Amino acid sequence: MRDEEVRSMYFKYFQEEQLPFIQCGKCGHKFFYPRVVCPKCGSSDIKIGLSEGLGKIFAMTRIYKKDGSYVVYGIVEMNEGFRMYANIVEENGNTADIGKKVKVIFREINGKKYPLFAVT
Amino acid sequence: MIVGFSGKLYKKYEKDGIELLKEAIDEALEMAGLTYSDIDGIMANIGRGSFHGNKTYLNPPAQIGEYFGIKPKIIDHVQYGGPSVLAMIYRAYKAISAGDADTILCVQGGKISHIRDSNQFQKTDIIDSPFDDFIKVYDQMSPISDYAMVAYRHSKLFGTTDEQRALVAVMQRYNAINNQKAMFRDPITVKDVLASRIVSYPLHLLEIVYPIDGFHVFVVSKRTSKSALRNIDILAYGEAHWPNPPAEWDDIIYTPTIESAKRASFNLNRVDAFELYDSFTITVMLQMEDIGLVEKGKVGHFVESHDLTYKGDVPINTGGGSLNTGQPAYMSGGVILEEALLQLNNMANGHQVSDANVIFLNGIGWWSRRHTVTLVLGEKK
Ligand SMILES: [Zn+2]
Repeated sequence: MRDEEVRSMYFKYFQEEQLPFIQCGKCGHKFFYPRVVCPKCGSSDIKIGLSEGLGKIFAMTRIYKKDGSYVVYGIVEMNEGFRMYANIVEENGNTADIGKKVKVIFREINGKKYPLFAVT
Repeated sequence: MIVGFSGKLYKKYEKDGIELLKEAIDEALEMAGLTYSDIDGIMANIGRGSFHGNKTYLNPPAQIGEYFGIKPKIIDHVQYGGPSVLAMIYRAYKAISAGDADTILCVQGGKISHIRDSNQFQKTDIIDSPFDDFIKVYDQMSPISDYAMVAYRHSKLFGTTDEQRALVAVMQRYNAINNQKAMFRDPITVKDVLASRIVSYPLHLLEIVYPIDGFHVFVVSKRTSKSALRNIDILAYGEAHWPNPPAEWDDIIYTPTIESAKRASFNLNRVDAFELYDSFTITVMLQMEDIGLVEKGKVGHFVESHDLTYKGDVPINTGGGSLNTGQPAYMSGGVILEEALLQLNNMANGHQVSDANVIFLNGIGWWSRRHTVTLVLGEKK
């Protein structure tokens, strides 16, 4: 697969509200950030899989804006084992914290859908 | 072999970046007793958008040479953020030892107040990571939000408190009180730090560097007769790079410093003072752990039970660090290197560590702690 294909597949999945990840066919390593080569073993035997969209918060911060409002930004660890950065949304009174469970949701940013996470 | 140095720091410099650089080069050359015609090597790392207006030089050492009429035998563009200038010193020493050049100018900094003071960064085709499209789209505030995540995770895992982090800021401020170059010189307390607004939880405003205009220039040369400086040598050196996004690391509470410090392999009992990169309070604490001064997770207790001021048992950031001088062009490496040289040459008026013969430096670079350099300076005996 070419880098451009991997990237456009990611964006295609995002528009369909699916969260892709990559699994190495040689060493089994799973990772999110799209590459045509496994960052662990160097193999180009890579396969795009789809996450079930469930995970937990590995790290997070609340970024305060000048008007006193804030956004949550963090690293989530998905049940499949890969980690990624994203904004985290607190809905229905669920407050974000390290270790709390999240599920993927999709929101439009600059006219395209991207994965975010909601505290469950 | 460092025969001259200069740090020119301004909250807001009125002229262009290149004119600020000339001020620094002139002062460093004067200390060295050398002139522009002696320079036969240039190594540089210049802040983005910091030279002419918001222009970025593609190859700063070459373009600096072009502007000043220098024809180097060797140039090097060392660009991985804050600690780059520490790596330049090592590379310059090696080049001079190998006979590749006689006098090398090492430059870091830039004029960035126009970027700092505008609300939007100039969008360019220069990218920081192949994955910018998947990371920078989010509402975030790198590097502040990145280090804030580390600080919060450190607290969750080890019970490190806001008060403990604040102590780092308080002790560094004490060191800054008599440092003429410090921008912030009024004493502060833990309460003051905790009362300052939270920028990215749990980091408070007084735990975060303020970006300023500034250049540091270090002249590395064999010719020492005209310079009054001590003949300082590199006693140990190590660098390490973990270029993957930290989200993919085993854990974000470690930095590559655990490897760069191991490569330098220096006995910390021989160290008279530490100059540790201080973009944030948590940055200093991470390095205290990763260089081996204290076990991972125990730095909170360590800062409570030791005096980190220049008068203390473990002097750290003896001039107040960049938390108090401001951070030139978003990079603090020059600040800690200049302070190390002041200490070693007994020039740190009002914040001098007595009998300072060995200084341990550690730098961390990029938005997310990916690059580290460990450098130990002193006289070889
Ligand atoms: Zn693999």
